[in-house]
Amino acid sequence: MPHFSNKKLILLLVSMIFIVALISFSLRDRENATLPEQFIKDTVGLVQGFVAKPANYITGIFNDINSLLNTYEENKRLKMRLEDFAVLQSEVNSLKNENQSLRDIVEKKESLREYIPIQATVIARNPDQWEEKIILDKGSTHGVEVNMAVMTAKGLIGKISLVTPLTSEVELLQTNNPNFRVSAVIQGENEEIFGLIEGFEVERNELVMKRIDSSFEIKEGELVVSSGLGGIFPKGILIGEITEITTDDFGLTKMAYIKPAADFSMLQDVMIAKRNVTSIVEHEKSLEKQTEETQVEGE
Amino acid sequence: MVVRFLIPFIAILLFLLEPEFALFSPIQINEHTVFLVPRFLILYLIFVSIYYSRQRAVIYGVIFGLLYDVFYIDIIGLYSVLYPLICLLAGSTVKFIHQHLSITTLLSLILVAVLEIVLYYFFSFINFTTMTFTDFTMSRLVPTIIANLLFLVMLGWVFKYLINARVLQRARDNN
Repeated sequence: MPHFSNKKLILLLVSMIFIVALISFSLRDRENATLPEQFIKDTVGLVQGFVAKPANYITGIFNDINSLLNTYEENKRLKMRLEDFAVLQSEVNSLKNENQSLRDIVEKKESLREYIPIQATVIARNPDQWEEKIILDKGSTHGVEVNMAVMTAKGLIGKISLVTPLTSEVELLQTNNPNFRVSAVIQGENEEIFGLIEGFEVERNELVMKRIDSSFEIKEGELVVSSGLGGIFPKGILIGEITEITTDDFGLTKMAYIKPAADFSMLQDVMIAKRNVTSIVEHEKSLEKQTEETQVEGE
Repeated sequence: MVVRFLIPFIAILLFLLEPEFALFSPIQINEHTVFLVPRFLILYLIFVSIYYSRQRAVIYGVIFGLLYDVFYIDIIGLYSVLYPLICLLAGSTVKFIHQHLSITTLLSLILVAVLEIVLYYFFSFINFTTMTFTDFTMSRLVPTIIANLLFLVMLGWVFKYLINARVLQRARDNN
Protein backbone atom coordinates (compact mmCIF):
# COMPACT_ATOMS: atom_id res chain seq x y z
CA MET A 1 0.00 0.00 0.00
CA PRO A 2 1.37 3.46 -0.89
CA HIS A 3 1.76 6.19 1.69
CA PHE A 4 -1.43 6.28 3.63
CA SER A 5 -0.55 8.98 6.10
CA ASN A 6 -2.40 9.91 9.26
CA LYS A 7 -3.66 13.08 7.63
CA LYS A 8 -5.39 11.15 4.86
CA LEU A 9 -6.86 8.68 7.30
CA ILE A 10 -8.34 11.45 9.43
CA LEU A 11 -9.73 13.16 6.34
CA LEU A 12 -11.34 9.88 5.25
CA LEU A 13 -12.92 9.30 8.65
CA VAL A 14 -14.19 12.87 8.94
CA SER A 15 -15.72 12.77 5.47
CA MET A 16 -17.39 9.44 6.24
CA ILE A 17 -18.94 10.85 9.41
CA PHE A 18 -20.01 13.92 7.47
CA ILE A 19 -21.71 11.82 4.80
CA VAL A 20 -23.53 9.65 7.32
CA ALA A 21 -24.72 12.79 9.12
CA LEU A 22 -25.85 14.31 5.82
CA ILE A 23 -27.77 11.17 4.85
CA SER A 24 -29.50 10.92 8.20
CA PHE A 25 -30.35 14.62 8.09
CA SER A 26 -31.94 14.32 4.65
CA LEU A 27 -33.77 11.11 5.57
CA ARG A 28 -35.91 12.81 8.18
CA ASP A 29 -39.48 13.61 7.22
CA ARG A 30 -39.12 17.06 5.82
CA GLU A 31 -41.91 19.11 4.35
CA ASN A 32 -39.73 21.98 3.23
CA ALA A 33 -36.52 21.88 1.26
CA THR A 34 -33.60 23.96 2.52
CA LEU A 35 -32.70 27.10 0.58
CA PRO A 36 -29.74 25.70 -1.42
CA GLU A 37 -31.85 22.62 -2.22
CA GLN A 38 -34.69 24.82 -3.43
CA PHE A 39 -32.26 26.74 -5.60
CA ILE A 40 -30.85 23.58 -7.20
CA LYS A 41 -34.30 22.07 -7.63
CA ASP A 42 -35.64 25.18 -9.33
CA THR A 43 -32.66 25.58 -11.65
CA VAL A 44 -32.56 21.93 -12.69
CA GLY A 45 -36.35 21.92 -12.96
CA LEU A 46 -36.29 24.90 -15.29
CA VAL A 47 -33.75 23.29 -17.64
CA GLN A 48 -35.52 19.93 -17.31
CA GLY A 49 -38.73 21.62 -18.40
CA PHE A 50 -37.13 22.59 -21.72
CA VAL A 51 -35.97 19.03 -22.33
CA ALA A 52 -39.32 17.58 -21.25
CA LYS A 53 -41.26 19.42 -23.96
CA PRO A 54 -39.82 17.64 -27.02
CA ALA A 55 -39.67 14.38 -25.04
CA ASN A 56 -43.37 14.67 -24.17
CA TYR A 57 -44.10 15.45 -27.81
CA ILE A 58 -42.38 12.25 -28.91
CA THR A 59 -44.14 10.08 -26.31
CA GLY A 60 -47.36 11.76 -27.45
CA ILE A 61 -46.74 10.54 -31.00
CA PHE A 62 -46.14 6.99 -29.73
CA ASN A 63 -49.36 7.12 -27.73
CA ASP A 64 -51.25 8.39 -30.78
CA ILE A 65 -49.97 5.54 -32.93
CA ASN A 66 -50.88 3.09 -30.21
CA SER A 67 -54.43 4.38 -29.94
CA LEU A 68 -54.76 4.50 -33.74
CA LEU A 69 -54.07 0.76 -33.88
CA ASN A 70 -56.94 0.07 -31.48
CA THR A 71 -59.38 2.44 -33.15
CA TYR A 72 -61.67 -0.16 -34.73
CA GLU A 73 -62.22 -2.21 -31.58
CA GLU A 74 -62.63 0.90 -29.50
CA ASN A 75 -65.12 2.44 -31.90
CA LYS A 76 -67.30 -0.67 -31.73
CA ARG A 77 -67.28 -0.63 -27.96
CA LEU A 78 -67.92 3.08 -27.72
CA LYS A 79 -70.89 2.92 -30.11
CA MET A 80 -72.50 0.38 -27.84
CA ARG A 81 -72.11 2.67 -24.88
CA LEU A 82 -73.20 5.83 -26.67
CA GLU A 83 -76.91 5.12 -26.34
CA ASP A 84 -76.61 4.56 -22.62
CA PHE A 85 -74.61 7.71 -22.39
CA ALA A 86 -77.35 9.97 -23.79
CA VAL A 87 -79.82 8.68 -21.22
CA LEU A 88 -77.23 9.07 -18.45
CA GLN A 89 -76.42 12.61 -19.53
CA SER A 90 -80.02 13.80 -19.28
CA GLU A 91 -80.33 12.11 -15.92
CA VAL A 92 -77.17 13.81 -14.65
CA ASN A 93 -78.39 17.19 -15.86
CA SER A 94 -81.72 16.88 -14.09
CA LEU A 95 -79.97 15.69 -10.92
CA LYS A 96 -77.54 18.59 -11.06
CA ASN A 97 -80.38 21.08 -11.38
CA GLU A 98 -82.23 19.44 -8.56
CA ASN A 99 -79.11 19.49 -6.40
CA GLN A 100 -78.60 23.16 -7.14
CA SER A 101 -82.15 24.10 -6.26
CA LEU A 102 -82.02 22.05 -3.04
CA ARG A 103 -78.77 23.77 -2.15
CA ASP A 104 -80.41 27.13 -2.74
CA ILE A 105 -83.25 26.17 -0.44
CA VAL A 106 -80.93 25.24 2.45
CA GLU A 107 -78.57 28.09 1.56
CA LYS A 108 -75.51 25.84 1.50
CA LYS A 109 -73.01 27.20 -0.96
CA GLU A 110 -69.77 25.37 -0.32
CA SER A 111 -69.30 21.76 -1.17
CA LEU A 112 -66.47 19.33 -0.56
CA ARG A 113 -66.66 18.42 -4.22
CA GLU A 114 -65.57 21.78 -5.54
CA TYR A 115 -61.95 22.47 -6.32
CA ILE A 116 -59.80 24.75 -8.45
CA PRO A 117 -57.73 22.69 -10.88
CA ILE A 118 -54.10 23.70 -11.50
CA GLN A 119 -52.81 22.25 -14.76
CA ALA A 120 -49.25 20.93 -14.59
CA THR A 121 -46.86 19.03 -16.82
CA VAL A 122 -44.69 16.15 -15.66
CA ILE A 123 -41.08 17.13 -16.25
CA ALA A 124 -39.32 14.12 -14.77
CA ARG A 125 -39.76 10.82 -13.02
CA ASN A 126 -37.30 9.73 -10.37
CA PRO A 127 -34.97 7.72 -12.64
CA ASP A 128 -33.86 5.12 -10.10
CA GLN A 129 -37.50 4.30 -9.28
CA TRP A 130 -36.92 3.12 -5.72
CA GLU A 131 -39.27 5.78 -4.52
CA GLU A 132 -42.29 6.32 -6.73
CA LYS A 133 -42.39 10.00 -7.42
CA ILE A 134 -42.70 12.44 -10.27
CA ILE A 135 -41.74 16.10 -10.56
CA LEU A 136 -44.13 18.75 -11.89
CA ASP A 137 -43.43 22.17 -13.38
CA LYS A 138 -45.72 24.10 -11.00
CA GLY A 139 -44.65 25.23 -7.56
CA SER A 140 -45.63 27.45 -4.65
CA THR A 141 -45.68 30.56 -6.87
CA HIS A 142 -48.57 28.94 -8.76
CA GLY A 143 -50.44 28.19 -5.54
CA VAL A 144 -49.40 24.58 -5.06
CA GLU A 145 -49.20 23.39 -1.46
CA VAL A 146 -48.03 20.22 0.24
CA ASN A 147 -50.63 17.41 0.48
CA MET A 148 -52.82 18.54 -2.42
CA ALA A 149 -54.37 15.79 -4.54
CA VAL A 150 -52.89 15.12 -7.97
CA MET A 151 -54.89 13.38 -10.69
CA THR A 152 -55.11 12.66 -14.38
CA ALA A 153 -58.27 12.63 -16.47
CA LYS A 154 -58.71 8.97 -15.46
CA GLY A 155 -58.33 9.28 -11.71
CA LEU A 156 -56.26 10.01 -8.63
CA ILE A 157 -52.51 9.34 -8.88
CA GLY A 158 -51.03 10.77 -5.68
CA LYS A 159 -50.40 13.81 -3.56
CA ILE A 160 -47.88 16.62 -3.41
CA SER A 161 -45.04 15.77 -1.04
CA LEU A 162 -42.62 18.67 -1.48
CA VAL A 163 -42.91 22.16 -2.95
CA THR A 164 -40.27 24.62 -4.13
CA PRO A 165 -41.10 27.98 -5.78
CA LEU A 166 -41.10 26.55 -9.32
CA THR A 167 -41.42 22.78 -9.00
CA SER A 168 -43.29 20.27 -6.89
CA GLU A 169 -42.85 16.60 -6.14
CA VAL A 170 -45.69 14.10 -6.24
CA GLU A 171 -45.70 10.94 -4.17
CA LEU A 172 -47.60 8.39 -6.25
CA LEU A 173 -50.23 6.04 -4.79
CA GLN A 174 -47.86 3.11 -5.41
CA THR A 175 -45.49 4.25 -2.68
CA ASN A 176 -44.41 1.91 0.15
CA ASN A 177 -44.62 4.79 2.62
CA PRO A 178 -46.75 3.45 5.52
CA ASN A 179 -47.94 6.95 6.40
CA PHE A 180 -49.55 7.49 3.01
CA ARG A 181 -53.29 7.20 3.60
CA VAL A 182 -56.28 8.33 1.59
CA SER A 183 -59.74 8.49 3.05
CA ALA A 184 -62.01 6.82 0.49
CA VAL A 185 -65.60 5.81 -0.09
CA ILE A 186 -67.02 2.76 -1.85
CA GLN A 187 -70.04 3.69 -3.89
CA GLY A 188 -72.37 0.82 -3.00
CA GLU A 189 -75.84 0.41 -4.43
CA ASN A 190 -77.68 2.34 -1.77
CA GLU A 191 -75.06 3.43 0.69
CA GLU A 192 -71.61 4.88 0.97
CA ILE A 193 -69.06 2.70 2.73
CA PHE A 194 -66.03 4.40 4.22
CA GLY A 195 -62.51 3.04 4.44
CA LEU A 196 -58.86 4.00 4.22
CA ILE A 197 -56.51 3.28 1.38
CA GLU A 198 -53.27 2.13 2.96
CA GLY A 199 -50.48 0.73 0.90
CA PHE A 200 -49.88 -0.88 -2.43
CA GLU A 201 -49.52 -4.55 -3.25
CA VAL A 202 -46.57 -4.70 -5.65
CA GLU A 203 -47.14 -8.25 -6.88
CA ARG A 204 -50.80 -7.67 -7.74
CA ASN A 205 -50.24 -4.08 -8.87
CA GLU A 206 -53.26 -3.05 -6.82
CA LEU A 207 -54.10 -0.71 -3.96
CA VAL A 208 -55.21 -2.04 -0.59
CA MET A 209 -58.20 -0.52 1.18
CA LYS A 210 -58.48 -1.32 4.88
CA ARG A 211 -60.75 -0.61 7.85
CA ILE A 212 -64.06 -1.25 6.11
CA ASP A 213 -66.89 -2.03 8.51
CA SER A 214 -67.62 -5.75 8.15
CA SER A 215 -71.40 -5.28 8.45
CA PHE A 216 -71.55 -3.77 4.96
CA GLU A 217 -71.98 -5.78 1.80
CA ILE A 218 -69.36 -4.97 -0.83
CA LYS A 219 -69.36 -6.35 -4.34
CA GLU A 220 -66.54 -6.70 -6.81
CA GLY A 221 -66.59 -4.08 -9.54
CA GLU A 222 -67.91 -1.29 -7.34
CA LEU A 223 -66.18 2.06 -7.71
CA VAL A 224 -64.03 3.74 -5.07
CA VAL A 225 -63.76 7.53 -4.88
CA SER A 226 -62.07 9.91 -2.45
CA SER A 227 -64.29 10.88 0.47
CA GLY A 228 -63.09 14.41 1.08
CA LEU A 229 -63.03 13.75 4.82
CA GLY A 230 -59.24 13.71 5.14
CA GLY A 231 -59.27 17.49 5.06
CA ILE A 232 -57.16 17.96 1.94
CA PHE A 233 -58.54 16.01 -0.98
CA PRO A 234 -61.74 17.10 -2.68
CA LYS A 235 -64.63 14.66 -2.65
CA GLY A 236 -65.45 12.40 -5.58
CA ILE A 237 -62.13 11.88 -7.36
CA LEU A 238 -62.17 8.41 -8.89
CA ILE A 239 -59.55 6.10 -7.41
CA GLY A 240 -60.37 2.69 -8.83
CA GLU A 241 -62.49 -0.43 -8.94
CA ILE A 242 -62.74 -3.24 -6.39
CA THR A 243 -61.33 -6.56 -7.56
CA GLU A 244 -61.29 -8.71 -4.43
CA ILE A 245 -62.64 -8.58 -0.88
CA THR A 246 -61.12 -10.38 2.10
CA THR A 247 -61.10 -9.95 5.86
CA ASP A 248 -58.03 -8.31 7.34
CA ASP A 249 -55.40 -9.86 9.61
CA PHE A 250 -57.48 -9.76 12.79
CA GLY A 251 -60.82 -10.63 11.20
CA LEU A 252 -62.53 -7.54 12.61
CA THR A 253 -62.81 -5.43 9.50
CA LYS A 254 -62.87 -6.05 5.78
CA MET A 255 -60.09 -5.39 3.33
CA ALA A 256 -60.44 -4.80 -0.40
CA TYR A 257 -58.04 -4.78 -3.32
CA ILE A 258 -58.54 -1.91 -5.73
CA LYS A 259 -57.37 -1.72 -9.31
CA PRO A 260 -56.31 1.92 -9.84
CA ALA A 261 -58.23 3.80 -12.52
CA ALA A 262 -55.26 5.93 -13.56
CA ASP A 263 -52.35 4.66 -15.60
CA PHE A 264 -49.08 5.31 -13.78
CA SER A 265 -46.62 4.88 -16.62
CA MET A 266 -46.38 7.49 -19.38
CA LEU A 267 -47.73 10.30 -17.22
CA GLN A 268 -47.70 13.63 -19.05
CA ASP A 269 -50.34 16.15 -18.08
CA VAL A 270 -51.79 16.11 -14.61
CA MET A 271 -54.11 18.27 -12.56
CA ILE A 272 -53.49 19.49 -9.02
CA ALA A 273 -56.72 19.89 -7.08
CA LYS A 274 -56.90 22.89 -4.80
CA ARG A 275 -59.95 22.48 -2.60
CA ASN A 276 -62.31 25.38 -2.14
CA VAL A 277 -63.60 24.49 1.32
CA THR A 278 -61.00 25.12 3.98
CA SER A 279 -60.23 22.33 6.37
CA ILE A 280 -60.80 22.60 10.11
CA VAL A 281 -57.09 23.13 10.79
CA GLU A 282 -56.92 26.07 8.38
CA HIS A 283 -60.18 27.41 9.75
CA GLU A 284 -58.80 27.31 13.30
CA LYS A 285 -55.61 28.99 12.14
CA SER A 286 -57.53 31.85 10.57
CA LEU A 287 -59.65 32.15 13.71
CA GLU A 288 -56.51 32.34 15.84
CA LYS A 289 -55.17 35.04 13.58
CA GLN A 290 -58.37 37.03 13.96
CA THR A 291 -58.36 36.77 17.74
CA GLU A 292 -54.71 37.79 17.83
CA GLU A 293 -55.47 40.80 15.70
CA THR A 294 -58.38 41.83 17.91
CA GLN A 295 -56.19 41.39 20.98
CA VAL A 296 -53.55 43.64 19.49
CA GLU A 297 -56.19 46.23 18.67
CA GLY A 298 -57.60 45.99 22.20
CA GLU A 299 -54.21 46.72 23.71
CA MET B 1 -12.95 25.21 -28.89
CA VAL B 2 -16.12 23.24 -29.48
CA VAL B 3 -14.38 19.97 -28.66
CA ARG B 4 -13.26 21.41 -25.33
CA PHE B 5 -16.78 21.67 -23.93
CA LEU B 6 -18.00 18.48 -25.55
CA ILE B 7 -17.40 16.17 -22.59
CA PRO B 8 -19.32 18.18 -19.93
CA PHE B 9 -22.02 19.02 -22.48
CA ILE B 10 -22.77 15.35 -23.19
CA ALA B 11 -22.79 14.65 -19.45
CA ILE B 12 -25.43 17.38 -18.90
CA LEU B 13 -27.48 16.10 -21.83
CA LEU B 14 -27.45 12.53 -20.49
CA PHE B 15 -28.32 13.77 -16.99
CA LEU B 16 -31.40 15.53 -18.39
CA LEU B 17 -32.40 12.63 -20.65
CA GLU B 18 -32.36 9.95 -17.91
CA PRO B 19 -35.67 10.96 -16.24
CA GLU B 20 -37.39 11.27 -19.61
CA PHE B 21 -36.55 7.65 -20.38
CA ALA B 22 -37.62 6.70 -16.87
CA LEU B 23 -41.16 7.80 -17.81
CA PHE B 24 -41.46 4.67 -19.99
CA SER B 25 -40.84 2.39 -17.04
CA PRO B 26 -42.26 0.22 -15.44
CA ILE B 27 -43.22 -2.11 -18.27
CA GLN B 28 -45.57 -5.09 -18.06
CA ILE B 29 -44.23 -8.22 -19.75
CA ASN B 30 -46.33 -11.40 -19.34
CA GLU B 31 -47.93 -10.15 -16.11
CA HIS B 32 -44.48 -9.30 -14.74
CA THR B 33 -43.69 -5.76 -13.76
CA VAL B 34 -40.25 -4.92 -15.05
CA PHE B 35 -38.30 -1.83 -14.01
CA LEU B 36 -35.82 -0.36 -16.46
CA VAL B 37 -33.49 2.09 -14.78
CA PRO B 38 -31.62 4.35 -17.20
CA ARG B 39 -27.98 4.65 -16.07
CA PHE B 40 -26.69 6.60 -19.06
CA LEU B 41 -24.70 9.18 -17.13
CA ILE B 42 -22.66 6.79 -15.01
CA LEU B 43 -21.91 4.62 -18.07
CA TYR B 44 -20.61 7.72 -19.83
CA LEU B 45 -18.56 8.76 -16.79
CA ILE B 46 -17.01 5.27 -16.67
CA PHE B 47 -15.99 5.73 -20.30
CA VAL B 48 -14.54 9.15 -19.48
CA SER B 49 -12.66 7.65 -16.56
CA ILE B 50 -11.15 4.89 -18.68
CA TYR B 51 -10.38 6.73 -21.92
CA TYR B 52 -9.76 10.28 -20.73
CA SER B 53 -8.92 11.11 -17.14
CA ARG B 54 -9.80 9.50 -13.85
CA GLN B 55 -9.59 12.77 -11.97
CA ARG B 56 -12.02 14.55 -14.30
CA ALA B 57 -14.48 11.66 -14.11
CA VAL B 58 -14.44 11.77 -10.30
CA ILE B 59 -15.10 15.53 -10.31
CA TYR B 60 -18.02 15.11 -12.73
CA GLY B 61 -19.22 12.23 -10.56
CA VAL B 62 -19.36 14.43 -7.45
CA ILE B 63 -21.15 17.30 -9.24
CA PHE B 64 -23.76 15.21 -11.04
CA GLY B 65 -24.18 12.88 -8.07
CA LEU B 66 -25.04 15.88 -5.90
CA LEU B 67 -27.51 17.25 -8.47
CA TYR B 68 -29.08 13.79 -8.73
CA ASP B 69 -29.40 13.52 -4.95
CA VAL B 70 -30.97 16.93 -4.49
CA PHE B 71 -33.30 16.90 -7.48
CA TYR B 72 -34.61 13.32 -7.53
CA ILE B 73 -33.71 11.31 -4.46
CA ASP B 74 -33.88 13.83 -1.58
CA ILE B 75 -31.24 11.80 0.25
CA ILE B 76 -28.10 13.90 0.02
CA GLY B 77 -24.87 11.94 0.10
CA LEU B 78 -25.98 8.78 -1.69
CA TYR B 79 -25.23 9.21 -5.38
CA SER B 80 -22.70 11.96 -4.69
CA VAL B 81 -20.57 9.28 -3.00
CA LEU B 82 -21.39 6.30 -5.21
CA TYR B 83 -20.78 8.03 -8.56
CA PRO B 84 -17.19 9.14 -7.82
CA LEU B 85 -16.44 5.76 -6.20
CA ILE B 86 -17.54 3.94 -9.36
CA CYS B 87 -15.46 6.33 -11.50
CA LEU B 88 -12.46 5.74 -9.23
CA LEU B 89 -12.88 1.96 -9.54
CA ALA B 90 -13.18 2.19 -13.32
CA GLY B 91 -10.10 4.41 -13.58
CA SER B 92 -8.02 2.03 -11.45
CA THR B 93 -8.66 -0.89 -13.80
CA VAL B 94 -6.90 0.87 -16.69
CA LYS B 95 -3.50 -0.49 -15.63
CA PHE B 96 -4.64 -4.12 -15.61
CA ILE B 97 -7.16 -4.39 -18.42
CA HIS B 98 -6.82 -3.87 -22.15
CA GLN B 99 -8.91 -0.92 -23.33
CA HIS B 100 -10.86 -2.52 -26.12
CA LEU B 101 -14.41 -1.23 -26.62
CA SER B 102 -16.09 -4.58 -25.92
CA ILE B 103 -14.12 -5.07 -22.71
CA THR B 104 -14.92 -1.52 -21.56
CA THR B 105 -18.61 -2.17 -22.27
CA LEU B 106 -18.54 -5.36 -20.20
CA LEU B 107 -16.69 -3.61 -17.37
CA SER B 108 -19.16 -0.69 -17.31
CA LEU B 109 -22.08 -3.10 -17.10
CA ILE B 110 -20.47 -4.97 -14.21
CA LEU B 111 -19.91 -1.66 -12.39
CA VAL B 112 -23.53 -0.62 -12.97
CA ALA B 113 -24.65 -3.99 -11.57
CA VAL B 114 -22.49 -3.32 -8.49
CA LEU B 115 -24.10 0.14 -8.17
CA GLU B 116 -27.60 -1.36 -8.39
CA ILE B 117 -26.83 -3.99 -5.76
CA VAL B 118 -25.33 -1.45 -3.35
CA LEU B 119 -28.40 0.77 -3.85
CA TYR B 120 -30.71 -2.21 -3.23
CA TYR B 121 -29.01 -2.96 0.08
CA PHE B 122 -29.11 0.70 1.06
CA PHE B 123 -32.83 1.08 0.32
CA SER B 124 -33.75 -2.17 2.05
CA PHE B 125 -31.64 -1.06 5.02
CA ILE B 126 -33.67 2.15 5.41
CA ASN B 127 -36.95 0.23 4.74
CA PHE B 128 -37.84 1.94 1.47
CA THR B 129 -38.35 -1.43 -0.14
CA THR B 130 -39.37 -4.86 1.09
CA MET B 131 -38.39 -6.65 -2.11
CA THR B 132 -36.45 -9.91 -1.72
CA PHE B 133 -33.11 -10.27 -3.46
CA THR B 134 -34.46 -12.77 -6.02
CA ASP B 135 -37.33 -10.41 -6.87
CA PHE B 136 -34.86 -7.60 -7.19
CA THR B 137 -32.68 -9.61 -9.56
CA MET B 138 -35.59 -10.67 -11.76
CA SER B 139 -37.58 -7.45 -11.92
CA ARG B 140 -34.85 -4.82 -11.71
CA LEU B 141 -31.26 -5.94 -12.07
CA VAL B 142 -31.44 -8.12 -15.19
CA PRO B 143 -33.81 -5.85 -17.18
CA THR B 144 -31.77 -2.78 -16.25
CA ILE B 145 -28.54 -4.41 -17.37
CA ILE B 146 -30.12 -5.53 -20.66
CA ALA B 147 -31.54 -2.05 -21.35
CA ASN B 148 -28.24 -0.36 -20.58
CA LEU B 149 -26.38 -2.92 -22.70
CA LEU B 150 -28.58 -1.92 -25.64
CA PHE B 151 -27.80 1.73 -24.94
CA LEU B 152 -24.04 1.08 -24.85
CA VAL B 153 -24.09 -1.07 -27.99
CA MET B 154 -25.77 1.81 -29.81
CA LEU B 155 -23.77 4.70 -28.38
CA GLY B 156 -20.59 3.26 -26.80
CA TRP B 157 -18.51 3.77 -29.94
CA VAL B 158 -19.77 7.38 -30.19
CA PHE B 159 -18.56 8.05 -26.65
CA LYS B 160 -15.19 6.52 -27.43
CA TYR B 161 -14.87 8.52 -30.64
CA LEU B 162 -15.76 11.83 -28.96
CA ILE B 163 -13.51 11.26 -25.97
CA ASN B 164 -10.64 10.34 -28.28
CA ALA B 165 -11.22 13.54 -30.24
CA ARG B 166 -10.81 15.50 -27.00
CA VAL B 167 -7.68 13.54 -26.02
CA LEU B 168 -6.10 14.23 -29.42
CA GLN B 169 -6.99 17.90 -29.21
CA ARG B 170 -5.40 18.19 -25.78
CA ALA B 171 -2.25 16.46 -27.01
CA ARG B 172 -2.07 18.95 -29.90
CA ASP B 173 -2.52 21.88 -27.50
CA ASN B 174 0.32 20.61 -25.34
CA ASN B 175 2.61 20.43 -28.36
